[in-house]
Amino acid sequence: MTDHYLTLKQVSVRRHQSLLLSGIDLRVSKNEFVGVIGPNGAGKTTLLNVIAGFEKFSGALSLFGEAQTWRRPRQTRLRVGYVPQLLQIDPGFPILARQAVMTGAVGRLGLFRKPGKQEHEDALRLMDMMRVAHLADRPLGQLSGGERQKVSLARAIVQKPDLLLLDEPTANLDIAVQKEVLKLIDEISEREALTILFVTHDFNMLPERMRRAVMLKGGLKVFDGKISAALTGNELSRVFEYPLETFERNGKRFICYG
Amino acid sequence: MVESILQTLSYAPIQRALAACILCGASCALLSVFVVLMKMPLIGVSMSHAAFAGAVLGMLLDINPFVSGFILCLLTAAVLGPLSDRADMAPENLLGILFSFLMGVAFLGMGILTQTKAGALNLMWGSLLTLSNNDLYVLALVTLVLTVFIVLFFKEIRVVLFSRRLAASSGVPERVIYYILLFMTGAVVSSNLATVGGLLIFALLVQPGAVALQLTYNLKSFFLISAATGILACFLGLVASYVFDIPSGASVVLAATVLFALAFVFSPKRRVVRPIERKIHDENDRR
Repeated sequence: MTDHYLTLKQVSVRRHQSLLLSGIDLRVSKNEFVGVIGPNGAGKTTLLNVIAGFEKFSGALSLFGEAQTWRRPRQTRLRVGYVPQLLQIDPGFPILARQAVMTGAVGRLGLFRKPGKQEHEDALRLMDMMRVAHLADRPLGQLSGGERQKVSLARAIVQKPDLLLLDEPTANLDIAVQKEVLKLIDEISEREALTILFVTHDFNMLPERMRRAVMLKGGLKVFDGKISAALTGNELSRVFEYPLETFERNGKRFICYG
Repeated sequence: MVESILQTLSYAPIQRALAACILCGASCALLSVFVVLMKMPLIGVSMSHAAFAGAVLGMLLDINPFVSGFILCLLTAAVLGPLSDRADMAPENLLGILFSFLMGVAFLGMGILTQTKAGALNLMWGSLLTLSNNDLYVLALVTLVLTVFIVLFFKEIRVVLFSRRLAASSGVPERVIYYILLFMTGAVVSSNLATVGGLLIFALLVQPGAVALQLTYNLKSFFLISAATGILACFLGLVASYVFDIPSGASVVLAATVLFALAFVFSPKRRVVRPIERKIHDENDRR
């Protein structure tokens, strides 16, 4: 009925007495790269959780042309990849980096089927693409935050999703690693035919291929349009309730705060 | 000396006790992998108290203590599962309430039990040397089912242990695995009431997994080391109990603790890798 990959109509999430998301309308087409930007508590992660199927909601949501509740059939889950903010794991946990990547393929394989040569090759190729192939046999819990984030990206893509959800994938990383992870995300968007939703509160750290921004504030959608229109002093100051200015140098726009 | 050992081994209760050592050690220890890696020791405590309370109630109502223990375990699992799935409350507090409630039920039952208390006390700390054949058959069946479950669903189990949320997001039926696990916990705990008892079983639900955590990064080895630790602890405990004439449940728990202490002291994983060594290691890997 529609070529929209993802459609939300009047989606709200209420927890206890507070409204975390309020009447969100959103349409995302195939192969779009959308940033979901907003301050803390704006409802960005809640929105992502609703789309991922982790959170109950009211309103209508459809994925790949089919209406969905928070309970999803396996086939739909397989098409949605998810990268959490930080892969929490104990240092001693018994899993190697390549095994962690392989966990992304388990659902696709189904019960009683072991990963074959193809799956192992896929996992290694993606670890190579994410520049972590040399860490394949190291325990995941011993890797740094940035290394783990790259493993987590490889894990999500091994699943071969059509829609990729990234929840602040660069939070808590130092600046050089943030830039590297952003570049890898751009690379993923270029090589794999993927629709991507990227949640962040850091408007200075956005992947280059992101073309559209959806801004949230207090559970409401307050902006939806081109990224260049979102990244202006006026818009950002309004959303973040803090005086922000933009300036350009070498064709790039920077945002600064006093 | 050899003759006296052989003669001891020819007694049926001793043979049953040895078989129970293997089954009890293996079943509890396999389960302890989940308890330790999913950080749910409180679930283990609650389950073991549910089994204990259920068995005491069974004695009061003249039902087979294993059956009533298992039923109360299943009820507890049915309450625990949905509660731990709710993101908006800390399960620890609720588990604390549930656990103390079950403890209260058990002691109330013991208080009003008119027959001799020895049977009820046995449910508390078990007795490897007074097992019946039926106790053993039930325990063998439960251990077998648990082992088959782990072997068949190993790759799904790995994902669920790693992260339930990621498992859900990538199309793994994590909820089903988790609930089977809760029910298996109930079955293992209640079938071991006769061996180590409802109170002391908790040690075997945590320590073998904790030993494996000190020793390996490989999940398969993790299960094997844990099972071996459980069996060894039960065996050493049984020998000590026989030789020194002490309660077997207590000696099993103490043996498990000694094994944990040894693993902790000699853990290769706790050896600190200095940053410089790590860098060299990485560079070697890249070549």
